[in-house]
Amino acid sequence: MPDAHRLKRLPIPAIVRRTAAAAALLLPLAGCTDYYPNSTLTPHSEFGRAIDHLWRIELNLGTVVFIVVEALLLYTLIRFRERPGQPSPEPVHGNTTLEILWTGIPIIVLFFIAVPTIRTIFETQRKAPANALEVDVYGHQWWWEFQYPQYHVTTANELYLPLGRPVNFVLRSKDVLHSFWIPELGGKRDLITNHTNYLWFTPDSGMAPNAWNGECAEYCGTSHGVMHFRVFTVAPSDFEQWAAHQAHPSHPDSTTALATDTGGYRFPAAKLPEYVIPATPAPANLSFASGVAGDAARGRKLYSSSACIGCHMVRGNPMSVGIIGPDLTHIASRYTIGAGRYPNDTTHLRLWIKNARLMKPGVIMPTLGANQVDPITHSRVPAAAGLTDQQIADIVAYLQQLR
Amino acid sequence: MAITTAPTASTDRLTTIWETSPGLYGILASVDHKTIGKRYLVTAFVFFLLGGLEAAVMRWQLTRPDTHLLAPEVYNQLFTMHGVTMIFLFASPILSGFSNYLWPLMIGARDMAFPRVNALSYWTFLMSGIFLYSSVVIGQAPDGGWFAYVPMTEQAYSPGLNMDFYALGMIFLAISTTIGAINFVVTFFKLRAPGMSVNRVPIILWGTLSASIMIVFAAPALTASCILLYFDRRFGMHFFDAANGGHPLLWQHLFWMFGHPWVYIVVLPAIGLASDMIPTFARRPLAGYTFVALSTITTAILGFGVWVHHMFATGLPQLATTFFSAASMMITIPSGVAILAWIATLWYGRPVLKTPLLFMAGFIVLFVIGGLNGVMTAPVPFDWQLTDSYFIVAHIHYVLVGINVFPVFGAFYYWLPKMTGHMLSERLGRWVFALMFVGGNLAFFPMHIAGMLGMPRRIYTYQAGLGWDTVNLITTVGAYVFAVGVGLFLVDFFRSLRHGPLAGNNPWDGSTLEWSVSSPPPSYNFAVLPTVRSRYPLWEDRLGEAPRGGGAAVPVLDDGRETFGTSALDSDPEEVLRMPDDSLWPVLVSLALLILFYGLLLSLWWMAIVGVTGVMVLMVGWFWPSRIPTRETALSPREP
Repeated sequence: MPDAHRLKRLPIPAIVRRTAAAAALLLPLAGCTDYYPNSTLTPHSEFGRAIDHLWRIELNLGTVVFIVVEALLLYTLIRFRERPGQPSPEPVHGNTTLEILWTGIPIIVLFFIAVPTIRTIFETQRKAPANALEVDVYGHQWWWEFQYPQYHVTTANELYLPLGRPVNFVLRSKDVLHSFWIPELGGKRDLITNHTNYLWFTPDSGMAPNAWNGECAEYCGTSHGVMHFRVFTVAPSDFEQWAAHQAHPSHPDSTTALATDTGGYRFPAAKLPEYVIPATPAPANLSFASGVAGDAARGRKLYSSSACIGCHMVRGNPMSVGIIGPDLTHIASRYTIGAGRYPNDTTHLRLWIKNARLMKPGVIMPTLGANQVDPITHSRVPAAAGLTDQQIADIVAYLQQLR
Repeated sequence: MAITTAPTASTDRLTTIWETSPGLYGILASVDHKTIGKRYLVTAFVFFLLGGLEAAVMRWQLTRPDTHLLAPEVYNQLFTMHGVTMIFLFASPILSGFSNYLWPLMIGARDMAFPRVNALSYWTFLMSGIFLYSSVVIGQAPDGGWFAYVPMTEQAYSPGLNMDFYALGMIFLAISTTIGAINFVVTFFKLRAPGMSVNRVPIILWGTLSASIMIVFAAPALTASCILLYFDRRFGMHFFDAANGGHPLLWQHLFWMFGHPWVYIVVLPAIGLASDMIPTFARRPLAGYTFVALSTITTAILGFGVWVHHMFATGLPQLATTFFSAASMMITIPSGVAILAWIATLWYGRPVLKTPLLFMAGFIVLFVIGGLNGVMTAPVPFDWQLTDSYFIVAHIHYVLVGINVFPVFGAFYYWLPKMTGHMLSERLGRWVFALMFVGGNLAFFPMHIAGMLGMPRRIYTYQAGLGWDTVNLITTVGAYVFAVGVGLFLVDFFRSLRHGPLAGNNPWDGSTLEWSVSSPPPSYNFAVLPTVRSRYPLWEDRLGEAPRGGGAAVPVLDDGRETFGTSALDSDPEEVLRMPDDSLWPVLVSLALLILFYGLLLSLWWMAIVGVTGVMVLMVGWFWPSRIPTRETALSPREP
């Protein structure tokens, strides 16, 4: 049995130190969104907070259990360790009261977790409110398609959500399984072929407009690791403006109209958090001729008669009606390309078109640049069939007018 | 207990009867459970090193953001093979190795119930391992994760041979585990020494028995799902193909009906190893033997009712998730009981802090963490944040490293002297423990934080600026520290073979029967099969429990390979079992199976037919009645 003067020399301080160190690691995580943009510890929706509430209960109970059990173990090993000249231990086989007690205590502890858990399960799996914004999410290998049926908007890899309005995600997959996850706004839900899932929450009305990262959380093949999306939570009026513009087709055949379109609302570039635009370096073995200037009019013609239109949609361009790849109607309004892989700028767009499969392994979009080697088929694109750097620059100039 | 020394003439005779033949024939034909056990241990350890190598390469890639040392295709094969290797080719076979080696010695028998089946189980394990790793040689290793979710693993999205290797390899391996499990179950109920009633067996027997019963029920789910996957891929059937009415969730249900019990299959025997080592170093009996034995069985039963907790984010109905959430919480209770029983054993004892006990202490620490972070994933809504994030990677590693690897390394330090006859170094052992414990925690604890910071699993790279850099760097450092510990263990092992002090019969003052024989034990295990009167046969004097009697006159059983068959619960002697001789049939059958599976893999149907025919012909040869005369004894002899 423990005697008082022995207790002072217990190894508890070691444990306290260890826990304190762990806590010190965790504490800064709670406040700093800038450093930890994908943190689950700083929820910004009622859904996220309901989950967070459970986590706090578990963390507290878990810490207590951890300290008690590990302290008991260390105390036992040190206090009762074999020393010379000791009598042999008593050969008792056990103590039934004690054994029943230590079976009972965990049951009580679990009870304190189980009750709030069940309440939260039923709270968070209710049907979405009637006024919710509907977003149809389609998972593709390895990008996201977002449709807003109430607004007739189709876009890719970038979500705009109004602050304070419930949003109901209708989740489906076009190919393999994916999982939709915006850590700062709540838990994830899988996208399952042949099956529709739902997930809803309300971005906090009180917070400032911000940008968040979204991820695919279910392993979905080669480029699963780079299947991101971005979420912009904006004021409701800004959202309406954004949606109205996105619903609008790009200007049909008038190059001048395209050139003068300033675009609708877009999350202000000046306010973008750093993490939205990735600094991932482009592949070293992919280069582009310098000093090439693109011509948008030529680009539009070339685009409308090339392989691009087989997969991509540009509403307003009657030739471009493909549905395999992302909708490009307002591609220039987006901040990233390749599902959050690279910044949406001239350099990266050009490299992407030249050899998408080098930029993002495994993608369906073929290698198009003349003399480029397709990393999947290992065949070289013939000079006559491929696009020259000038042609690519023209196409990029056109795409950059699709604001 | 009566350990009677047989006269020398008799031991010579027993040696002639039981010794495996020399030369190549003996190597291929041996059915000695000690040989098979050691082969399991060595083979599984080689796979452990391969799996570790895969992990080391992956950690190199993840140390810094935006590293592109490995293409994603390669990374995906690496993490799949790391999982498949560690879970299927290491964690379970290494325990089969210990159980194979130790069971007959612990229960006072001369071999397992079915020695030839035992050999077949080993050879099939080896062949399926070779089959799976031949995919690496041709650069088409499985790349769909060890869980192989459809539809990504269907032909349409995975046209190479990668997932065919997986599906067929899993079916192949399941043959080995299933027959091995049946052997354990029968051995448990029929071969225990006279007097060793079920409440006197070492806990490892309860652990392996529970795991074996689980295998018998769980493995068919994996076999079925892999056969369906193979049919989908090869013959265009539509079991999982959504476009034609199949359902991807069918795979998940089938896979986890197997997959979750499997977690307990690879930890229950290890918990048994721990429960048998701790009393030795506490110098007293296990506190709450009955509670620990019952907790093992309870876990085995509850383990079948929690599979859906891998699927909380798939959008199942609330009532179903609530049920599985509660079941997942409940399963921690038996684990808690066992942990407190170990601590109580040490509390009431005199803990001797030798290397094996250090590993046991480390095991308890990691078990507690692995249990707590497991409970955290049980509440469904919180699991929506955790699932498929690095938090789960932390959880699975705390569970598998904590509850499998640590007991296994403790068991190496404890039982290798019995197998090799040489002690490992206490000094190096402490270093091995320290490096593995510190390295393991350094590697796996930060993974919790990475997960909470939003890092998904199975990503081959990550962008800078997400706050994941430091935790990943620490994880990599920890992983390499852990690897150094494993390397040092290998050094210690090879050093001990030459320079380790002789172990003697009972270097640790252990209480169970394996410590009553020489190290390494003779081929016949016991000259005179022991009669058991208590749970701790070698401690009877000091525990003062069983009166030492002269014991009934026990026949030596030296007319051929013989051991006692006893009643299922009370271990009353019932018969003398005639055990089989060395045999080439097992290795030949497993070779025929290998031909069959390569035939199926390559769609070379003639080759598959050759394999099937080979298996059938060989089985006929195997079961052809032998002409060995049966011995007339007071107990009626019978083929086991």
